[in-house]
Amino acid sequence: MKQSILISGSGGQGVLSAGMLLAQSAADSGKYASFLPEYGPEQRGGSAKCTVLTSDKEIISPLPKKCMYWICMNEQSFKKFGTQLKEGGVLVYNSNRVTSPITRTDITAIPVPSDQLADQLGNPKAANIILIGALLAARKAIVDPEHFLKSLEEKFASKSDEIRELNAKAFKIGGDIGKDYAE
Amino acid sequence: MAKVLMKGCEAVAEAAVRAGCRFFAGYPITPQNEIPEYLSRRLPEVGGVFIQGESEVASVNMVYGAATMGVRAMTSSSGPGISLKAEGISYLASCKLPALIVNVSRGGPGLGSIQPAQSDYLQATKALGHGGFRVMVFAPYTLQEAVDLTYQAFDYAERDRNPVFLLMDGCLGAIMELVELPEMKEPSDENTKKWNLRKRPDEKRPARALTPIYPEIILEMENKTRGELYKKWEREDVKVEEFMIDDAEYVVVAYGIAARVAKEAVITLREQGYKIGMIRPITLYPFPKQSFHKLNYDKVKAIIDIELTIPAQMRDDIALEVMGRAPIFEYGRSGGNLLDDDGTYDAIMKVIKEVG
Repeated sequence: MKQSILISGSGGQGVLSAGMLLAQSAADSGKYASFLPEYGPEQRGGSAKCTVLTSDKEIISPLPKKCMYWICMNEQSFKKFGTQLKEGGVLVYNSNRVTSPITRTDITAIPVPSDQLADQLGNPKAANIILIGALLAARKAIVDPEHFLKSLEEKFASKSDEIRELNAKAFKIGGDIGKDYAE
Repeated sequence: MAKVLMKGCEAVAEAAVRAGCRFFAGYPITPQNEIPEYLSRRLPEVGGVFIQGESEVASVNMVYGAATMGVRAMTSSSGPGISLKAEGISYLASCKLPALIVNVSRGGPGLGSIQPAQSDYLQATKALGHGGFRVMVFAPYTLQEAVDLTYQAFDYAERDRNPVFLLMDGCLGAIMELVELPEMKEPSDENTKKWNLRKRPDEKRPARALTPIYPEIILEMENKTRGELYKKWEREDVKVEEFMIDDAEYVVVAYGIAARVAKEAVITLREQGYKIGMIRPITLYPFPKQSFHKLNYDKVKAIIDIELTIPAQMRDDIALEVMGRAPIFEYGRSGGNLLDDDGTYDAIMKVIKEVG
């Protein structure tokens, strides 16, 4: 089944790299995958958004109007893209930055204090991995968490052990939160 | 070979290298910058030359120079930059030089927007430059097709001694998908050695010249030959996907990224029992005229042209073939807004309800 994930935040938060990692891990696990960044004139600090699709069948349209899952990393994009999450969808959000109340009752909302948790790990850049960890623990059909971890390892193969351990820890911390919302 | 996840622009660039392209000149413009960025690294690795020209005009003329030497050469840009290259493309056609020109198109007219759009159909198919020449225009709808068409483009260009144009939009340029890359071809001037200007120490032959300027009587002959070539394309080189059109009452026409979204809607509507199909031109020129003539107009209630631009540009070509035998509707988005699954489904549904 086609799974659609919207990731949004501000430039520099790792929105696009999170999307690419997800797409790559889906591809590595034998699924079809597409990754579409929404580009603009902004750089750091501007808004960043991407759509990832994973599927067991070839992906025909890469442009869904609404997505089933949404990783939201900041308040600005939360306000902007709220209508792009499907009814019955799952919202995983950075509760340190998304300060608006979650008013929709037709979705599952998973608050993750990802900035705070990443800081505790010693690297604020790990926030995106924490959020992915939470989403994949809640909905394994997107990409099996084991596959994601393996792709993450491969992607960072040339980096220090420290960074790879940090990634694995971040993914697990997110997973511990997400698994309470598993179907 | 295993499939790899690649970005559209980079996949096209790599396919060109594998086809034996060893020269690129271009000037930056969004959303095609990843093509020159990739080639600036990749071409030197294989002994090729990458030049960021001082302008679009200079770049296309550098491609002209490289092509005279029988080197597989390309340039890329987006709408505003293609306009600037128009003179050079016309001269390439006049001098009968092969080259690949890629347009990763964005919103228009004028500076338009940097967001994806299919706003350059008319430019690509009707007048890429002055003088009434034509080029084959390839319009892929997946990255795999973009790779395959890029790989073939140089062969067509050399066969016809004419530039080939690849038209894709910013969406296909930016998207990452799985592609299977073709094998690496060794660069060769085998197809062009009869006329290229490369010096061969082992070959005794008189000096050659290539010119884009002809005496009047020759110019007319040349243009007649060109006319014949374009007719031959229409007979032999049309590429099209005909999807479920045999019993179709509603026929969607779309190319490139719009065809991806439209096809999803067509499949959904078929599942719901509607007799709907799609004609997807892969060569925008030569246009797949025959696909429209084989439709059963006793049954066809509507033709729906879907493009990522407003107003629709392919509509005129469709109308020439439909010849009033069915009403033509159009749906599109513009101004940086993309087509999406639900919106496109709704637009088709609206037509179905309207015509009954």
